Amino acid sequence: MADRPLWRQAFDAAERALGGPAEAAVRSEAFNDALAAALRGQRWAQQEVERRTRRVLHMANVPTATDVRLLSQQVASLQREVRRLRREQEDAG
Amino acid sequence: MISPGSLARRARGALRYAGGRDAPEVGTTPRELVWSRDTARLWRYRGDAVTSGPPVLVVHSLVSRSYVLDLYRGNSAIAFLLRAGLDVLLLDWDAPDEADAENTLETYVDDYLPRAIAAACTATGAHELTLLGYCLGGDLALLAVARHPELPVRNLALMATPVDFSHMGALSALVRAGRLNAADLVDRSGNVPAASVETAFRLLKPTAEAAQYANLWQRLCDEEYVAGYQAMNRWVHDHVPFPGAAFGQLVEQLVRDNALMAGTLELGGRRVDLGAIRCPVLSIVAERDHIVPLKAAEPLPRLVGAQDAGELRLRAGHVGLVAGRSAATVTLPGIADWIRGHGVAAAA
Repeated sequence: MADRPLWRQAFDAAERALGGPAEAAVRSEAFNDALAAALRGQRWAQQEVERRTRRVLHMANVPTATDVRLLSQQVASLQREVRRLRREQEDAG
Repeated sequence: MISPGSLARRARGALRYAGGRDAPEVGTTPRELVWSRDTARLWRYRGDAVTSGPPVLVVHSLVSRSYVLDLYRGNSAIAFLLRAGLDVLLLDWDAPDEADAENTLETYVDDYLPRAIAAACTATGAHELTLLGYCLGGDLALLAVARHPELPVRNLALMATPVDFSHMGALSALVRAGRLNAADLVDRSGNVPAASVETAFRLLKPTAEAAQYANLWQRLCDEEYVAGYQAMNRWVHDHVPFPGAAFGQLVEQLVRDNALMAGTLELGGRRVDLGAIRCPVLSIVAERDHIVPLKAAEPLPRLVGAQDAGELRLRAGHVGLVAGRSAATVTLPGIADWIRGHGVAAAA
């Protein structure tokens, strides 16, 4: 205790006082319900923005995030197919 | 009161820290890639002399970078095991992308792990090995051995491996039934983003970051401490995304159904029987682990069918099992002793 500077003793005391309640708060039902609602809200807002901007961007013939996502999903699907075929070939050989 | 000299030393330390100067290089133990498949990579480390067999295959978690096991010179679990005379290999995972989003637990347990084990045996010339899983990597190793008792696994050592997910605290609270579904947490790539993984870990100890900065400020004059802090701080903020499909299974079966404890886990349409694990098992648990609390890992030896199933309980935290002073003085010697005690002298 004596080795620690005053500011550190004060910090540790504050951390002891706040740490436990903060951890209990993030474990609480209320916090998790609120966080879940916030995350759902964020997702909804993101989708809404995407939906509303899609029409405008398409009118200007500009690809949207949805278009890019669809393309990259197709690439990923192809990549998975290649992996599957390679695996089959290795197992057969 | 801080003296001017101390303040100057601290300022120098702060500048070094802010500039990233003298940050130790991570993952420097010499190694070679002996096998890879998609995001799975199998590394073999080069040690001086192998005095004890069989080889040890470390299975790393899916959500963090494996260099925590080989943090920097003088603070490396891998280097410790090599010095203990063991032949060490590591199976880790590169960051998954959209092509990996459909990876299920079966992808890891039935495909990558058995293939990696076979490749490890080929690379080392051994006919069996010791599996050493860390965190979620421990669960993968556990499930692989349970589903494939024919795998050439002589021993199974599992560090901070959760089995009772009802005690995973804040990490599982958000995805309990009625709150968020796994699909709510995946991004456009189909995976749980690395940033979300990091935030989930941060929420476990909301004041931890402030305490770490206080420690750093107090010890800014200590170059060794600052170097260690930089390496660890890099790792703490360097997560990898969680493959979406595997995350979905984890939420539905391991968290919501607590299926490992209930004995109801089904993979590939087949029930997983942990009782089928007959090889010696060591569960290494950390009393101060805030990520995998003691109660989440504690039941493991009782779930397996091995007669030789024990526990090594240590006064350490989650990362302290593999890095830092407590790892070098307590955890790793204990693990190395157990592995050597359950192994054989290596052929000269």
